[in-house]
Amino acid sequence: MWNTLYNWLDERLGLNDLYTNLLDRPEPLGNWWNTLGSASLFLFLLQGATGIFLTVYYTPSPDHAYDSIQYIMNDVAFGWLIRGIHHWGASLMVLVVFIHMLRVFVTASYKYPRELTWLVGIGLLLMTLGMGFTGYLLPWHQMAYWATTVGTQIAGSLPFLGDFVLKTLRGGPDLSALTLQRFFAAHIWILPAALVALIGAHLYLIIKHGESHFPDPED
Amino acid sequence: MNPETKQKINAKYERELQRGEFFWPDSIFKDVIVSLGIFLVLLLLATFVGVHDAPKADPSDTSYIPRPEWYFLFLFKFLALYGQIPVLGKIEWVATVVIPGLAIALLTLLPFIDKTPHRYYARRALPLAIMAILVLGIVLLTFLADVPTVAADGSSLLGTLQTLAGLVIPSLAYLAFIMFAYRARENAVRLISWTSLLAGVLMIGCTVATLALHQPAAAEAAEVPASLVDRIVAGQDLYSIHCVECHGEDGAVTTIEGVKGLEGKEIPPINGKDILYTLNDASLSEVIAYGRPDAGMNPFGKAYNPEGLTRSEIDYIVTFMRYSWDDRFEKPQIKPLFPPLAEGEVPSYAVHIQPIVKRYCISCHRPGKDSYNYFMDTYENILKSGDDSDSNVIAGDENSFLLQVIQGTPIPDTVNPGKDLIGVMPPKGHLKPDAIEAFRRWILMGMPETAEDAAGLTWPTPAATPKP
Repeated sequence: MWNTLYNWLDERLGLNDLYTNLLDRPEPLGNWWNTLGSASLFLFLLQGATGIFLTVYYTPSPDHAYDSIQYIMNDVAFGWLIRGIHHWGASLMVLVVFIHMLRVFVTASYKYPRELTWLVGIGLLLMTLGMGFTGYLLPWHQMAYWATTVGTQIAGSLPFLGDFVLKTLRGGPDLSALTLQRFFAAHIWILPAALVALIGAHLYLIIKHGESHFPDPED
Repeated sequence: MNPETKQKINAKYERELQRGEFFWPDSIFKDVIVSLGIFLVLLLLATFVGVHDAPKADPSDTSYIPRPEWYFLFLFKFLALYGQIPVLGKIEWVATVVIPGLAIALLTLLPFIDKTPHRYYARRALPLAIMAILVLGIVLLTFLADVPTVAADGSSLLGTLQTLAGLVIPSLAYLAFIMFAYRARENAVRLISWTSLLAGVLMIGCTVATLALHQPAAAEAAEVPASLVDRIVAGQDLYSIHCVECHGEDGAVTTIEGVKGLEGKEIPPINGKDILYTLNDASLSEVIAYGRPDAGMNPFGKAYNPEGLTRSEIDYIVTFMRYSWDDRFEKPQIKPLFPPLAEGEVPSYAVHIQPIVKRYCISCHRPGKDSYNYFMDTYENILKSGDDSDSNVIAGDENSFLLQVIQGTPIPDTVNPGKDLIGVMPPKGHLKPDAIEAFRRWILMGMPETAEDAAGLTWPTPAATPKP
């Protein structure tokens, strides 16, 4: 019975091919440092899942953002847990992605033939920081408001283009409802979409070239 | 890279695969364990540490000191230190755009800059040393983020040490690395390793010295009321300070009495349906923040008054009004203002007196109010301020002015007979018997400040000293 079902699915989905190409791959001897990439992916998925839950109650407007988070924390069943995981997961994700980058740097895994994997990886690191920056404003509390004021000011210190960048980030000369709205859009649509695309490219390249081995004196 | 090198690299990788492991199940096993571990850590953090929120954003409160997420702190500190450099420090965009931009560009293009096929650590001393110093710098700057560059006493020692740790030593180390890499052919690796070790130790040393010298200011624990009860209590405390003079304790006042400039003004009661049913929370907040100029109500928001209320504080007052007077809302169980006194227990300032004073006295008895300069905002002020500071609170004396007036006995004016020097307090209404009893025990037993001070004292039971 199960065999029939499996064979039926295999003929149509190519399960056996998936198994040989994705799972049954030979790899160089790895150690615990090799788990940081998959840990980053896990954290991304966790942030995605908890983030989706949060958008059910969160309202991206200056009048309601703070109160909607108070509501999530105090009145929604397990809202505090979802928000807590999302809050701490963000910090941990920045940390894990950064250490993953350091590991790749130290073992020189960015060299031939994995140059593009590194390039995409730096894109992922910067987007993760972008997620942290945009997400920090969303609770609309004093710390968020003033940190973003200063953060966008720093981006606005760019010569010539500074004023344009500042107004693009804030949606005007000052932090306003528009700023919150576009940080929200960037945080839940623009950056995640770009992240998913880059993660896809990153994973394809890893499967294509395999994980690098730890260097020995021969290398 | 020539074809032979590529072939050599690929052949070596094949050999590594031969003596390697399989993605399933060997690698996946470790991946799953680490991911589960991370999930567990997050669960623990979310449950036992939680999220510490700040008060609601208030654009008019410009005194707030901004603080970014911890992983951006090192950039803030770097900017602060960079600003100390003479001349160059004035060109802000060098530090905000050029240096971070250059660092990101170098990191991105790394595979195209470092094109040698060598991967073994000993052959990559230069990039490893540069990265080690960079990461160490980031970590140390994060630790230093809260130390000011100029100490409170004006000495620049802290700033100098931080600049050494965060800018000077790393820059010198980088210069040395590059010089060794291109000049000292055979000894390069050894020299770079020793230099980075030396630079690292010096940087850590300067950081530790800075942290040891720096006396961190006692962190103001800005506790944000989380639960509904906490918010209602916070609102009631704020109402008792800012609103009670005109609107009265229960919000029912229709004619203002005893307030300079507003004497005899007719106002609508704010505890009835007329106000609470017609204005929603947002409108009530606006009224408090911006006032009712046509009706004589002052604006209480920070936008008009630097001493004013923040957005969050106004929200708490509105919550208090809703749950206390709006019959559509059910007020939750609220714990008493101070823990009831047990037989023989002596109250302390911290536990009993301060909450009472905050609720019933401080509205008038605070700096800026006409109250014969008697301020009740701190323990010291309650004992020692005011025009009659010698007679207001006397340890162990039933004739202390404070005790007289709260028990309904005005203090007669000795200069103008027939007039009162101090009327009964509070001027409208009176304290509840348990609050008066707390004041009596507190003053007669010598005004203990903390709960520990009070714990050593015992209030004689009624049997021992018959009360009048």
